[in-house]
Amino acid sequence: MTTLEQLSQAVAAGKSKDAKALTQRALDEGVKPGRLVDEALVPAMAAVGERFKNNEIFVPEMLVAARAMKEAMNLLEPRLLAAGITPKYTALIGTVQGDLHDIGKNLVAVMWRGANFRVVDLGTNVPPAKFVAAINEHRPQLIGLSALLTTTMPAMVETVRTIRASGCPAVKIMVGGAPISQQFAEEIGADGYASDAGSAVDRARELVGAI
Amino acid sequence: MSRPQSIHVQWPDGASTLALRAVHHDGATLADQLAEAGRPLNTRCGRHGRCAGCTVELVAGRFLGRDGTEHAAPAEIKACQGRLAPGADTTIAVPARSLATHRPQVVTTFKVGVPAATEPLVPVVPGESDHGLAIDIGTTTVVVSLVDLRSGNIVREEASFNRQIELGDDVVTRIQLAGVPDKLDVLRDAIVGRTLAPLIAGVCAGAAIAPERLAGATVAGNTTMLHLLTGTDPTPMGVAPFCAAFLEHRQLTAANIGLSTPPPAMPVHLLPGISAYVGADLVAGCVCTGLNHCAEPSLLVDIGTNGEILLMHRGRLLATATAAGPAFEGGRLARGTRAVAGAVAHVRFDGEFPPALDLIPGANGIVGLCGSAYVDFLAQGRRISLLEPTGRISPSAWQTLPAVHRHHRDITRGVRLNAQNDATLVTEADVAHLLQAKAAIAAGIVTLLRRAGLAPADIRTLYLAGGFGLHLDVAHAIESGLLPGFRPEQIDVVGNTALGGAWLALIDRTVLPEMIAASTAAEVVELNLEPGFEDTFIDHLALP
Repeated sequence: MTTLEQLSQAVAAGKSKDAKALTQRALDEGVKPGRLVDEALVPAMAAVGERFKNNEIFVPEMLVAARAMKEAMNLLEPRLLAAGITPKYTALIGTVQGDLHDIGKNLVAVMWRGANFRVVDLGTNVPPAKFVAAINEHRPQLIGLSALLTTTMPAMVETVRTIRASGCPAVKIMVGGAPISQQFAEEIGADGYASDAGSAVDRARELVGAI
Repeated sequence: MSRPQSIHVQWPDGASTLALRAVHHDGATLADQLAEAGRPLNTRCGRHGRCAGCTVELVAGRFLGRDGTEHAAPAEIKACQGRLAPGADTTIAVPARSLATHRPQVVTTFKVGVPAATEPLVPVVPGESDHGLAIDIGTTTVVVSLVDLRSGNIVREEASFNRQIELGDDVVTRIQLAGVPDKLDVLRDAIVGRTLAPLIAGVCAGAAIAPERLAGATVAGNTTMLHLLTGTDPTPMGVAPFCAAFLEHRQLTAANIGLSTPPPAMPVHLLPGISAYVGADLVAGCVCTGLNHCAEPSLLVDIGTNGEILLMHRGRLLATATAAGPAFEGGRLARGTRAVAGAVAHVRFDGEFPPALDLIPGANGIVGLCGSAYVDFLAQGRRISLLEPTGRISPSAWQTLPAVHRHHRDITRGVRLNAQNDATLVTEADVAHLLQAKAAIAAGIVTLLRRAGLAPADIRTLYLAGGFGLHLDVAHAIESGLLPGFRPEQIDVVGNTALGGAWLALIDRTVLPEMIAASTAAEVVELNLEPGFEDTFIDHLALP
């Protein structure tokens, strides 16, 4: 098995330490960071997302895989930046104002990175105006809003409204989180909804026209 | 709109034919119709289809889901998510765990770790005004204890579900509901008029004490419960920065609260809380266990839908809450139930499959599995290598598992602990939910300890409070990683210390000032803002 194949397997199995070590080894062997992403990490996360959608793995295994992916990306990102390699699509992501939960949001962020999006994570408790400012700064094609509490769903409504009314560059808005539904997404004028981090990747690719 | 419909229902105690009234609005569901017919189901999540509380079996006929799906028998359906299609020979089977009429097993016992005097908080006139009420309002259960203030003894106790359950399972659902016009009043009436009033009347009647002799009451409960009790808008607690309208001790009267049984002027003391998510129930537990006086580092842990944790170290009290979700109360699990009569409370693998099952007495047959049984399963399932660290059933164990114990639907695998009884099924998806719940509790404890520069081994005593703790096998809680890195001798199972604290505050007037001091001195740690919490959570997802 090549180092890239081993890396892909380590990420999918959630072996963080192995993922880090194998990423370093691949780099030492002279593998270009861009190829490492395309041939090991993207397929690994695609497999994880697919298995999740098919109920073959559950949230705990997905979280562990996402962390392994993050370990690998932490080593690669400075090198990708130095090499001038930027993904074709940029996505912003954040948890809406009033909500501090970020584990689900972080998982979607990693899955999007794994699908070769540049992801700018605005963190939690993000006011609508901060989303607008970040859209103007980063010019993303896609923005992801997360809410875990039923009580912070109104903040999601407000965020969508503020973005739409702000006159900032056109952007597709995706929403998600435990209390969110397709119906709610439609009601508040979001462009897309995903029920989990696996389908969030498919939905994101559709929305930006990548597939 | 639909016409009246006659259906056959297989209840746990026999079959009957039920005339369902016509529904008067398009959104009405089978759950609504059954409630109207006097057989309410366990609609814990507020009829959002999020829990499996109202699951019934469609034996014959068709079910039209609100989302446009159609289910033909045989199928498992959530009664709150649609209605039966018109037609003769429609039959449903309602399992015992889906009925809302279960009597709860409530923890009314508690350990008191501090000495107390009998010098009541309220004035006592022997023979005239000499009894008091110690009240614990939990999100799920409510306990009222009648106390003879001359002796300090509890003479009578009554417990029931908090009737707010019908409106929403957890505090966040109720906080959200309270923001809907008029619903704050509905929630208040559910606790005051429909829960407390009958309990208070019940303890007085049961002990043959005239309500006029009630001299005072103390109330412990989480911050949301105390807001709803007083009709105070809790909605700011639903969003960061989670501001409570009040946390301090409040002295009200029976008339203020809206209780009509006791004398109107009877003082009612609401005990003080620490924050929106660490309430008076924890403060009561803190003083009841003596945690606030511990010279060596000690913890108080109360595991429910939220896990609340207090750490006492070098005179400092740190407080946090961690979102465990409803798994340990049976929520979202295939055969999960609260600790009710007929629930499997313990699972014991003495070597071979199948394990021995211990039931909570009081029902015919098995209703489902409660949290303590799942913890047993996690610990021993891993020990005998039935489960892998990821929570998956190991492929080799699956091969050797007797076929009658195997459950296989689509690609979902599970284990039937009792081959003859489907109510003992544990699936891999259940285990995934349980791992997240246990990781939330474990990461909360570890993060709080780390903040103080401590490790589990440094803790003198971990006081484990609440109903879940009382049923829990402590060794299995440790082995499964729910209480990670502790030794059994460090754990002290203390029961309902919220009630214990309310009782202490009532009979000993020096206790309330201690609670006020503890609540104001405590420092709140917001786990989601703690660096490393997410990493710690992910670390604890695995079975050790």
